[in-house]
Amino acid sequence: MSTVAPAPYFDISDSTFAMHSEAVRAARSQSWFARTNYGVAVLRYNEVSHLLKDQRLKQGSAQWPEHNGVHGGLFFDWWTENLLVLEGEDHHRIRRLVNPAFSPRHIEPLIVRFEALAEELVNNFVADGHCEFVRDFAEPYATRVLCILLGIPETEWPTIARLASTVGLALGVHIKRDLEQVEAALAELYAYAEALIVDRRAAPGDDFITRLVVANRDGDSLSDAELRNAIVLLIFGGMDTTRNQLGLALQSFVHNPEQWDLLGQRPDLGRKAVDEVLRTNPTTTWVTREAVADFTYNDLFIAGGTTVHLFTQVSGTDPLAFPDPEMNLLGEHAPHYGFGGGVHHCLGHFVAKADMGVALPLLARRLRNVRIDGVEEWMPDSGNTGPVRLPLSFTPAP
Amino acid sequence: MNIFVDRTLCDNHGQCAISAPDVFRMNTEGILEYDEVVDDALHNDVEDAIDVCPVQAIFILNEG
Repeated sequence: MSTVAPAPYFDISDSTFAMHSEAVRAARSQSWFARTNYGVAVLRYNEVSHLLKDQRLKQGSAQWPEHNGVHGGLFFDWWTENLLVLEGEDHHRIRRLVNPAFSPRHIEPLIVRFEALAEELVNNFVADGHCEFVRDFAEPYATRVLCILLGIPETEWPTIARLASTVGLALGVHIKRDLEQVEAALAELYAYAEALIVDRRAAPGDDFITRLVVANRDGDSLSDAELRNAIVLLIFGGMDTTRNQLGLALQSFVHNPEQWDLLGQRPDLGRKAVDEVLRTNPTTTWVTREAVADFTYNDLFIAGGTTVHLFTQVSGTDPLAFPDPEMNLLGEHAPHYGFGGGVHHCLGHFVAKADMGVALPLLARRLRNVRIDGVEEWMPDSGNTGPVRLPLSFTPAP
Repeated sequence: MNIFVDRTLCDNHGQCAISAPDVFRMNTEGILEYDEVVDDALHNDVEDAIDVCPVQAIFILNEG
């Protein structure tokens, strides 16, 4: 009789569960998957790479509002019609229409503005020798980059940041409790988006929103509701993720000071730095999928409807795929899945690489000997994570 | 025109097959298959596929 060791088990909603833990690393060396209180978790790189693009799985968040007792209303309607959860031709049609606006050829010319913004924000605090990084840099930078992209006055960034964070509460476990403020914030974002659409229809320019408004493919174009939903998704998906990822990047570099020194001297490594941080310390610590129907993968039977969590950070540091898994800006590594993958691959990844790719080398040059100095505050480790408060000390440099 | 996909970069995300389904397809194993010689009428679709590729693995070798 053969015996098979039982798969590891994790309660991933337990507040003590940690991705960066010996327990998770031990599970990864024992088994390619773990069982969890929310279905299966995939721990190793090769399996994550395959399953991320496997057509037998679909995006796993479509049912999120319903699973939390939300069966209708403004948020429900937006969520169930947004690109994140659409599948098949409904998804592909919208993606074909919005993709060109995110093309690298349109993003590259904005990089000088992103860099000037980073310089301005750093100049506000650098002489002090300390900062609260989320408040002083990550949040205003991430939000003002969105304002630049959307053509909203940058002075309005605190409003956009507040609205995006409030809508973000809908992804938390208290969605039902927070629903009223989520929907109020969503209504305000709708008003912003609708005003932008009306404005660009009346006076088209050479800008991102105009490109969405005039996007046309074989006579098909986005309706006003589809345009509005896409713009709100961009604000919702682009702000928190970038803010969190910048904070996580600083955490990584505080622990890798020689890499920070290297980045300060080599701004050409900016995008490599973004890739290495997304591989080893991503804000999206897992990508959720759901089995479309019953199937078997690597001898594991996965019933239709099963949630499959693809653990990005854990698989991105899998020693089977990365013999030397530590962050290394000069290393050659397999592609990471910090932007997800397959048909739902992050739409804004060129923007993210461009904006963080200029911000990180600039920070590395101006904030020397950076260290954590004070009380940190962090979001839970599951789902989308990052610092809420990250006090830093450093030696100012010109 | 002639199209080349650098297989050392391609990670089979399938974004090109969304942008230009007449040129790029994912087979049942999830591996990219594509036409190497493409009618110039599909130029815009191919340009969209080139732009959207997350690993920038698609190239036009020569315009017809």
